[in-house]
Amino acid sequence: MRHTLTVARRVVRQLLRNRRFLALSIIAPLVIVYFLKLFFDTMPEMFDTARYAVPVAAFLVHFLAFLLCAIALVQERTAGTMERMFINGFRRTEIIGGYVLGYLGLATFQAVAALTEVIWLFELDYETETLLTLFGVVWLLAIASVMLGIFVSTFARHEGQVFPFVPLIILPSVFLSGLLMDVEDLPTWAEWLGHALPLFYANTVIQEVIKDNGSLQEVWGNLVILAGYGAALLLVASRTLREVE
Amino acid sequence: MHAIEVAGLTKNYGKVEALQGVDFTVPRGMVFGLVGPNGAGKTTLIKSLVGALRPSGGEVRVLGFEPLKDRTELRRRIGYMPQSPALYEDLPARDNVRFFGAAHHTPELRKKVAEVLEFTDLAERAGDPVHTFSGGMKRRVSLACALIHRPQILFLDEPTAAVDPYLRSRIWKTFRELAESGVTLFISTHLMDEAILCDRIAILRKGRVIVSDTPHEILERGKTRLMVRQSADEEERTIGGRPEDLAAALHPYGLGAEITGVEVRADSLETVVLSLIEKEEVVR
Repeated sequence: MRHTLTVARRVVRQLLRNRRFLALSIIAPLVIVYFLKLFFDTMPEMFDTARYAVPVAAFLVHFLAFLLCAIALVQERTAGTMERMFINGFRRTEIIGGYVLGYLGLATFQAVAALTEVIWLFELDYETETLLTLFGVVWLLAIASVMLGIFVSTFARHEGQVFPFVPLIILPSVFLSGLLMDVEDLPTWAEWLGHALPLFYANTVIQEVIKDNGSLQEVWGNLVILAGYGAALLLVASRTLREVE
Repeated sequence: MHAIEVAGLTKNYGKVEALQGVDFTVPRGMVFGLVGPNGAGKTTLIKSLVGALRPSGGEVRVLGFEPLKDRTELRRRIGYMPQSPALYEDLPARDNVRFFGAAHHTPELRKKVAEVLEFTDLAERAGDPVHTFSGGMKRRVSLACALIHRPQILFLDEPTAAVDPYLRSRIWKTFRELAESGVTLFISTHLMDEAILCDRIAILRKGRVIVSDTPHEILERGKTRLMVRQSADEEERTIGGRPEDLAAALHPYGLGAEITGVEVRADSLETVVLSLIEKEEVVR
């Protein structure tokens, strides 16, 4: 645990020192949410903006948390610091755990900032319980995204090898996770493929709780799956991270 | 027990045989140089010794431990300075050293970080981010990270590559001080004027150790060209590399028979340049 906290402290210290990176990773989703608002303002009045606003904010957090964490870990490999950590006695689980803890703060901040802006810009009037659930599910999605980033980074030797995973993992989320349409309308195989994406479970919860008569009771299992998704990825990544060449 | 024992070590990358049955031993407290051109297998060998690489065959013992099987035990006792700086460039030098020191649960870490930064002549810039440092300073931060937990063996992969002669001489002074304190140093290099500073060297070529001996013994295997000018005549002879060979060659020209060995120790260009830099600093 001490090693995990040592890695986490170092990751946080690096994030805090890299102010440009930090500012961009928080400001970028806020700017994109604003563009989304401009886009939705052009839609006919009957267009249900609430159906899309929060899920799109969740997607942005998912995308950024995944990408930033994956690239940061791959940079450790290319810079030689990953090898150096291992030779200095850090274990795989400690390195991954440290990254999860380190990026959790950033992911939480992204989740809170993006959601707050969406709710304010789109003038969404949700009860406190619904708001808390939304924050909770986006936060869980952010954690799963960090895990996904860590998992993917174990297959990449340099930053360039991370990018092919974006169209492979992140873009399908746009079409197969229920973000744009109900997954039931997709062919069965595509619907099942959607079940492999963390955004599917987050979106299912979001769509249910923002309904007028929606209830978390109906979809709480999705939250459990989302949490399990993150935990399973953490477990797999701790096996796939190469310690010895 | 030797600090390092290597027997029949092989490493293949597909069809490429990076190491082809390497054998050598390194006694404790020695500065051991692994010399060879780029691509000879030096980094592969060092990585096999520190447990960062799985060899294809052969046996390796470092301080009696198997690098992969006993990695937890071994890693507490070794320091490793890779060829690239391998540092967190946006963090200050002090944070880098502290991070790797914390990995070893180093007691009195704050004090030891200050000591090792002093030792590597970085105390004044300890709070500056590493990306503001020159290449040579980054090498010294990297060395400080490898030293922080006071290892018994230091593995240094081309530690002075791309470092200017002045800084190289300071780094080597540090190495000598470490060796005097009982640390074994295993240094890879492709620079011959650096190899000569080692207590013993192994020459690696295409994944094989072609010779392992002291630099002095290896030099003596070489030939010396002796040019003798008398009046208008000039005679050229090739003699052995030992002081006795030179004395014997000079006897016909009047060197007393009682002189049994003659050795010429001319300063290298690097030594001359370094002494000029030092003189200039004293004047200032």
